[in-house]
Amino acid sequence: MTMTAPDPVAPDPKVDRALTRRRWLGRLRGGSTGRPVWRQPIAVVALAILGGWLLAAILAPIVAPYDPLAQSADTYAPPSATHWFGTDSLGRDIFSRVVHGARLSIPLALAIVSLALLVGGLLGLVAGYLGRFADEALMRLTDLVFAFPQIILAMAVTAAFGPNTRNAVLALVIVSWPVYARVIRSAVLSMRGDDYLNAARLLGVGPVRALRRDVLPNSIGPAIVLATLELGNAVLLLAALSFLGLGPRPPAAEWGSMVALGSQDLSMWWVSVFPGLAILTVVMAFNVLGDALRDRLDPRYAKGR
Amino acid sequence: MSVSPRRLRAGAIALATLAVISTTACTAGGSGGNANDGEVKTLTVNTSFVLKTLDPGRVYEATGLTAVHALYDTLLTFEGSDVGTPVPALAESYEASPDAKTFTFTLRSGVTFSDGSPLTADDVVFSLNRLKNIKGSPAVTVSELTFSKTDDSTVVVTSATPNPNVPVVLAMPSTGVLNAEVAQDNGAKDGEDAAQGDTAQQYLDTNSIGSGPYVLSSYEPESQVVLEANPDYWGEKPQFERVVLRNMDVQTQKLTMQRAESAEISLDISGKLLDGLPDSLQTSGVQDTVYFLFLNADPAVSAVTANPKFNQALRAAIDYQGIAALYGEGAAPGAGLVAPAFPGTLPASEASTRDVTKAKALLAEADLTDPTVKFNYPAITYKGVDLGTVATKVQGDAAEAGITLELNPQPLTTFLDEMRSGKSPLGFTPQSLNYPVADSLINNMAPGQATALRSGWTVERADPAIVAAGEKVTETLDLAARATAMQQWQRLMNQSSPYIVLASNSSTVVATADLTGADYSAAGWQVDVAAVGRK
Repeated sequence: MTMTAPDPVAPDPKVDRALTRRRWLGRLRGGSTGRPVWRQPIAVVALAILGGWLLAAILAPIVAPYDPLAQSADTYAPPSATHWFGTDSLGRDIFSRVVHGARLSIPLALAIVSLALLVGGLLGLVAGYLGRFADEALMRLTDLVFAFPQIILAMAVTAAFGPNTRNAVLALVIVSWPVYARVIRSAVLSMRGDDYLNAARLLGVGPVRALRRDVLPNSIGPAIVLATLELGNAVLLLAALSFLGLGPRPPAAEWGSMVALGSQDLSMWWVSVFPGLAILTVVMAFNVLGDALRDRLDPRYAKGR
Repeated sequence: MSVSPRRLRAGAIALATLAVISTTACTAGGSGGNANDGEVKTLTVNTSFVLKTLDPGRVYEATGLTAVHALYDTLLTFEGSDVGTPVPALAESYEASPDAKTFTFTLRSGVTFSDGSPLTADDVVFSLNRLKNIKGSPAVTVSELTFSKTDDSTVVVTSATPNPNVPVVLAMPSTGVLNAEVAQDNGAKDGEDAAQGDTAQQYLDTNSIGSGPYVLSSYEPESQVVLEANPDYWGEKPQFERVVLRNMDVQTQKLTMQRAESAEISLDISGKLLDGLPDSLQTSGVQDTVYFLFLNADPAVSAVTANPKFNQALRAAIDYQGIAALYGEGAAPGAGLVAPAFPGTLPASEASTRDVTKAKALLAEADLTDPTVKFNYPAITYKGVDLGTVATKVQGDAAEAGITLELNPQPLTTFLDEMRSGKSPLGFTPQSLNYPVADSLINNMAPGQATALRSGWTVERADPAIVAAGEKVTETLDLAARATAMQQWQRLMNQSSPYIVLASNSSTVVATADLTGADYSAAGWQVDVAAVGRK
């Protein structure tokens, strides 16, 4: 993993990093305070649900009985043995569309959160470490983004760039990076005066190296927890955008746009209820999992459990 | 953190839900005031406001037209749902010259404005000249007309070109007659420079100075417009003393009508939204909107859509019946560009039909394998129908014939901009007529005309027979023969024009069971509120 030889006099960064990693990996496993994530029943259910959706996404062409885009004369058929979730106004099989929808929603949510974590994390790291002007500028920028409700800003961005999948993802990255920037920045700030950092600096360790080898590993934990929590939010926001016609273009099987289609006539409840349930289960599962992770990794929540 | 973002969000959702519930509760209870009075005196009309002004010379939007029609009389008018035969209103009779250029109207005697002053030919000429010269949106219908009086009860309208539809034009709400004296006192001008000099709009938005069955009581363009019966109305007095036009989104209209007991009308519930309404309500609908595709005939924009064989193939690929079914009750598969509500429409028996085999054969003939075209449409819901659903259906139909359409939903303004620029290879749009005369279609959509050029359809690219058939319509002065010529024009258009008519759809008036005369009119005013009564 590392290629640099340890500085003979500095505290061995390898040891330090290993300690850090062990600290939050240890908490993930339960540490000294409680059960590991995979021993909490609700987290297990959440993991199972997510696993199920991942499988569905990977195996969609096998699982789905019909082509998700194929129209038929059998419109608005209620759920039955031939169409488990019924059909929509164009006679498309809703079960097949929901299953294929997982192929869009889950990878896109992962992409949004990873990109936001990358952008926000880097900026937060730099701001926290450098302080002063860089910090001020960055924090005002995050204030600017926080000033708008997420969905409104995302709508404005997609509307401006033109509605399609790429721009929806871009818009959601733009509205969601500041949380990561703030979390990482505050983690960095809290360790700024730490002895081992001072020692490293005195020994001539440059800022890039210090950030990469000492600061980042010690501050990334909370951001990872946040990212897991935000995955659900990303699924939801993406669905909201495509509900409004600002997401992936039709006829793509996207959960949000499927709900929108069904909302035109709620007497055909199955058209929007099933994609709605898909959104619900995925979002809930991500949230539960994120909560469980936080309980393990964040000392403030670990107490009393 | 004392309040987590998640809790905040949950709170916000709960608040929003409450707000929605309380709004619907208020509006649903809105008609309750009537029940206590014993006799119902107020008619409530729910509609999603499209309202900019109540100035007859400038009114162009649906809600404004409904109100203006009740406030101002016109020379002629239409009764009920009919838009074929104008009937007397301010004019008790009229005569048309054989060349369809001169129309002489004899005014009814004893008509007074709501302030009691008599209505004369001067008022009529002033109002019509003002309409023409302030050059507002509705002025196009009278741009070729000149107005004069021969005596106090005779008005002569002259058309620069033969136009048998002048009587229809003079039934439009924008030709409503104002009290010239009061109008001039408040800044109205009728001279040729009136476009700059006229300042009466503000006054006319909040005051009515007509001779119609109602007078304006209050004008709040964001929420409601209230009309009171004109106590001195010269004609048959309306049954309702008050009419309240209420701004309401269509979903709330549906909820309201589900609970409404009496004297309530909704104007925007149509298409699939009609499903699930109680049987006790009455509906009146007319198919006055057509939905069509336009293919660009300019090879520089798209070599595919400009190919006549592709045009034919796409026509044959579309499942017209299935598309009409998407619109719900009151829709029909596309026949011609003239909607069934208007004279000159093609009979339903001539509706286009599907033939996938023919479509494939045509594509093979033209050596087009997997032709791919970008398909623009506005991402809106129009009259209860999501255009995206229809576009997706068209895409699915085309795919079966081997044509790939790439759906490109656009915000309405973007769509219109691209359409106007003539760069849309393939588009989809609804069309309603501003006044019930289909001739405007020829003025716009015949080869070389403004709308046709947006699809790159020049005279050179068109079948000469279509050009000739269009000219035949404008040359024919007898209205019945004109309608027949119009049908012939549409048949030719269906063979090789850039336009593929998908379906026609109804606009609908939904009314409580106790009402009479709540008929939808395609003449622009949607419903004649003065004609609505109680059983």
